[in-house]
Amino acid sequence: MRDFQGTEIMHNLFIGSYDGKKRLFTKSGYPPHYGERKIGDLREWMPQRSKLGALFLKGKIVRFERDMKVLYLGCASGTTASHLSDIIDRGILYCVEYSAKPFQKFLKLAMERKNIIPIFGDASKPENYSGIVEKVDFIYQDIAQRNQVEIFVRNFEFFGRQGSEGLIFVKARSIDSARDPEEVYSDVIEKLESHFKILNKGDLLPYHKDHIYIHSRWRG
Amino acid sequence: MRYKLWFGEYDDGSVRISDNLKKSFLNCFNSEPIPFSVSEVGKKTFGDEYYSILRKVAIEVARELVERELKREDRYVIALVRALDEINSSVNLLEEKLEEIREVRDGRLASEFERRIAILKSFRGEIEREIEEVMRKIAPNVSEIVGEKLGARLLERAGSLKKLAEFPASTIQVIGAEKSLFKALSRLKRGKRARTPKHGIIFQHPFIKTLPRRKRGKMARFMAGKISIGARIDYFRGEINEKLSEEVRLKYERLSRN
Repeated sequence: MRDFQGTEIMHNLFIGSYDGKKRLFTKSGYPPHYGERKIGDLREWMPQRSKLGALFLKGKIVRFERDMKVLYLGCASGTTASHLSDIIDRGILYCVEYSAKPFQKFLKLAMERKNIIPIFGDASKPENYSGIVEKVDFIYQDIAQRNQVEIFVRNFEFFGRQGSEGLIFVKARSIDSARDPEEVYSDVIEKLESHFKILNKGDLLPYHKDHIYIHSRWRG
Repeated sequence: MRYKLWFGEYDDGSVRISDNLKKSFLNCFNSEPIPFSVSEVGKKTFGDEYYSILRKVAIEVARELVERELKREDRYVIALVRALDEINSSVNLLEEKLEEIREVRDGRLASEFERRIAILKSFRGEIEREIEEVMRKIAPNVSEIVGEKLGARLLERAGSLKKLAEFPASTIQVIGAEKSLFKALSRLKRGKRARTPKHGIIFQHPFIKTLPRRKRGKMARFMAGKISIGARIDYFRGEINEKLSEEVRLKYERLSRN
């Protein structure tokens, strides 16, 4: 590719420099989904629009294999899901979202991609889609709700198996707007530690303020 | 054990395939986690086609649900309220611009500009009437208690009729005063003194606005309670109960007397 020098850090995921800046791309046979640039067959992954994109661009690695089964809670309009779908091109991505407006846009994505199963439902009630989603290798959650940790754990109880990994994004203000963010975060981590082995954690600066991510492995 | 899967009912190793996949997809509630992976059983039934069939059904179901959701009347009201706000601020801005033009040259163009603003103003009235009409239909009790306009605004802040019905009365009381509420709460958490707001947008209601300061909190609390009950009746039953607005009026009269 002209002007682009990069390395493939994961299947279909490239990091490298393009017009003078460090950028992230996924190799994709599909058209742009949210107004991102496409250079050849590479779709630029905008870190400001996607927390997972920010994480990768910061050099953190959360490994996705191309044949993974992934459950994505809170896919919204599918910005992140579109890139994840590029990476796990031989896997399956179950996507749950309960807000109609963004989901409408997401459905366009789901219709063009063979590895996406859309579920219009409430992630806090996995019982409702328990007969649809299989046991998965990975659960990804970005829902910014007060009880998001409980929701995360509950979904693992339904769809996790020994060794499944999870990635959760937490915004302190949506859990408790009055308390000190650091306190909220350490509470969250404590809650997670009773079910998971924490693999990595950190912030998403400078792309997303007031957020942390926690990458963990389910104990089963 | 029996489990409901999206393609049928599982019972001790055998599956009774559903004759309507969309229906069974929508109805696969299991209160406990299923001890096996749905796809393993599914692949025994559908083979390599499993994911493509699942995907087809999931997309069809999702499209229908989303369409139904987007057509809901409370969403219509919310969209109208937001459009109304936008038109209001546009009209104000445009009138300022018209004045600027007039100051320099009060000619044919200025009059034409004025005429078009007048059209926008009368269109604003049309939107207001539409909001009132739909509010009467979908939220008769809330409309009766606080009026269609204010009711529509509460609905807009809540996001849906369902959410408004689920809100505690104390939340309804301070809708629109989030900034001062959270400021006060965070002060209180840090052990400092603070006063939480007495009312949010329901302050606009004449029953609150016209009372002396020290009684407004009482009235707002009472009214929010009745709105909350009204919203629940609206959401779950949809019939009007005149007693609610009557009680609010009596409370107001009692408070304004002494």
